[in-house]
Amino acid sequence: MPGIILDGRKISAEIREELKERVRKLREKGIIPGLAGILVGEDPDSVTYIKLKEKGSTEAGIYSQIIKLPQDVTERKLFQEIKRLNSDAEIHGIFIQLPLPAHLNEGRVLSFIFPDKDVDGLHQVNIGRAWLGQPGFLPAASIAVHELLIRYGYNVKGKNVVIINVDNLFGKPLASILVQEKEGANVTLCHPSTPNLASYTRTADILVVSVNKPNFITADMVKKGVIVIDFGANYLEESSDRGKGKLVGDVDFEVVKEKVEAITPVPGGVGPMTVTMLLANTVTAAERQAGILVELINVSHYS
Amino acid sequence: MAKIIDGREIAAEIRGGLKPRTEKLKERGIIPGLAILLVGEHPGSLSYLREIEKGCDELGMYTDVVKLAQSVTQEKLERRIEELNQDNKFHGIIIQLPLPEHLDALRVGGTISPQKDVDGANPVNMGRLLLGEEAFVPSTAHGVHQLLIHSGNSPEGKHVVICGRSNIVGRPLMGILVQKQKDANATVTVCHTRTRDLPSITRQADILIVAIGRAEFITADMVKEGTIVIDVGVNQVEIPAGSGKFKLVGDVDFDAVKEKAGAITPVPGGVGPVTTAMLLTNVIKAAEVAADKIASRSLS
Repeated sequence: MPGIILDGRKISAEIREELKERVRKLREKGIIPGLAGILVGEDPDSVTYIKLKEKGSTEAGIYSQIIKLPQDVTERKLFQEIKRLNSDAEIHGIFIQLPLPAHLNEGRVLSFIFPDKDVDGLHQVNIGRAWLGQPGFLPAASIAVHELLIRYGYNVKGKNVVIINVDNLFGKPLASILVQEKEGANVTLCHPSTPNLASYTRTADILVVSVNKPNFITADMVKKGVIVIDFGANYLEESSDRGKGKLVGDVDFEVVKEKVEAITPVPGGVGPMTVTMLLANTVTAAERQAGILVELINVSHYS
Repeated sequence: MAKIIDGREIAAEIRGGLKPRTEKLKERGIIPGLAILLVGEHPGSLSYLREIEKGCDELGMYTDVVKLAQSVTQEKLERRIEELNQDNKFHGIIIQLPLPEHLDALRVGGTISPQKDVDGANPVNMGRLLLGEEAFVPSTAHGVHQLLIHSGNSPEGKHVVICGRSNIVGRPLMGILVQKQKDANATVTVCHTRTRDLPSITRQADILIVAIGRAEFITADMVKEGTIVIDVGVNQVEIPAGSGKFKLVGDVDFDAVKEKAGAITPVPGGVGPVTTAMLLTNVIKAAEVAADKIASRSLS
C-alpha cells in the first residue's frame, strides 16, 4: 500500500490563511507588513520566482516592492539600495533574488542587509543564531520541511534524520533546526558524494534529499516505513511542457512510495511552501519590529 | 591496541609555530592581549585558567582576568564588555562559562566584538564558520579538528559521529566538518545521550567524538574495531567512592575502549592542551589582523 502523500499545496494554503489573520491584526495596529525584493539582471527563472513572491505578498495583504537593478550594477550601488531599505520603516523584510552575477560577492552583499530584516535568513548573524538556538530568520526551504513534518503530526524527537545536501540554503539550516534540544533528532548530513550513501539512507527514519538528480533515491536505499522529503527539481527532457520537460524530484517516486510511511510529491511537495515561508518570515519580522514579538538580541556589532 | 594520541605533544607543536608570530608582532610593537571575564567564583575553571596564563607567559603575551561579582547585572556586564571591546591592550576577549542563571549567556556572547571574539561566542562567527568564511571557532571544537589533522586522521570522506550537541563543541564541529574543504568534507552525524539505540549509531563511526559530560559513558561495545575516538569530556570521579580522592576521567571508558579503537585521546592530556593552544592561536590571529589594520591606516 502506498504511503501518505504529504500535500505541500494544502499545507501552504493553510499557512497562508493563518498569515492573512496575522496581517489583519497588524493592520488593525496601523502596520502593513512590507517586503522588498532586489532583482539584479533579467534571468528568466529569477523573474518568475520574484513574481511569485510578489503575487503571494499581495494575496496575503503584504506590501511588496521589487527593486530592479541592471546586470552590471556595482556592489556600491547595491549597498546603497540595501542601506535605504534597511532604514525604510515601511519595509520589514528584504531579500535578494539569487544567484547574483559573478562580479558581485554574494556573502558580502547579503551581510549588508540589516539582520532583523533578513527574511531569507542568509546573513551570517542569522545563520549563527540558528545554530546557537537563538531567534532569528531561517531560509524558507528549511523551515518549509520542518513545518510540513509538524503539520502532518510527525515528531522528529529521537528520530534518525538523514539529509543529503550540505548547502547554505538548505541542508545546513535544516540541520541547525533539528539539532536543537527541543527537537531532539539525530541528524546526519551527507554529501551527494558520500561513499556508500545507501548505508546512511537505510538507517533514516526521515530522509531529506536535494541533489537535483532524477531517480537518485531508489527503493533499495530506504527502509520500510520511512518518511521521505524530496526537495529535488529536475526537468526531464523527453516530454515537453511549456518548453521545459516534466518536473520530477530526486526520488524514484512511483516505486519508493510503496515502501514509505509518507512522502512528498514533486511537484506539490516542499516547492509550493517555500514562497509561503518567506511570507511567514516577513509577517514575523513586522510583528517583531512592531514590538509584538520582542526577542531579538542587540545587533550593534553586526554592521 | 589503539595508538594513544598525545594532545600535549600536538599542543607543543602548535605553540612552537606561534612563537615566531608573537616575535614578529613584538617587532611591530604589539603584544597580543587576552581578557578573561570571570563572573563569580569558578573553582572548576582554575586549572584551565592557569594553563591559559602559562601559555600566554611562554609566548610573551599579555593576559588579564577581569572579575565581576556573582550578582552583576546583564547591563553592567555588557557595559564592561563594551569597554574591553574599545581597549587596545586586548585583542581577544573570552567569558568563562557557565554564567550565573540570571544572565543571558547568548546575549552576552553577542556583545563581544566579532574581531575580538576569540572563542567564537558571537553568532556572527558561528555564521561565518557555517558559510566557510574566515571565522573564530570555539577553541574546543577547533582543537578537536586540529587534533585529528595533526595525528594523521583527517576526517575527509569519513563518517564522523559526534555525541553531544553543545554550542561550544557539537554544533560548531558539525559546521567545520561538513564544509566542502580540505580536511573536512565528512559525513557527520550529531546525536545525544537520549538518542534511541545510541550504540547502533556510535558503532557506525569511523571517527567518534564524545562531549556529553558523563564519566566513562562510552563503553567498548559501543565502538567498532579501528575507530578513532576523541574524548572531550572532563569528569571528576571519586575513586574509590567515599574516599575523598578524585580522579579526572573522560566520557569514554578508556581502558576498555583503547583495546578496540584505532587511536584514542587520553583524559587528561588529550583534547585539553590543544584547546588552550587554539585559544592562543586565535588571540595571535586577532592581534595580527588588528596590526595589519593599523598599518594600512597609517599608510593611507
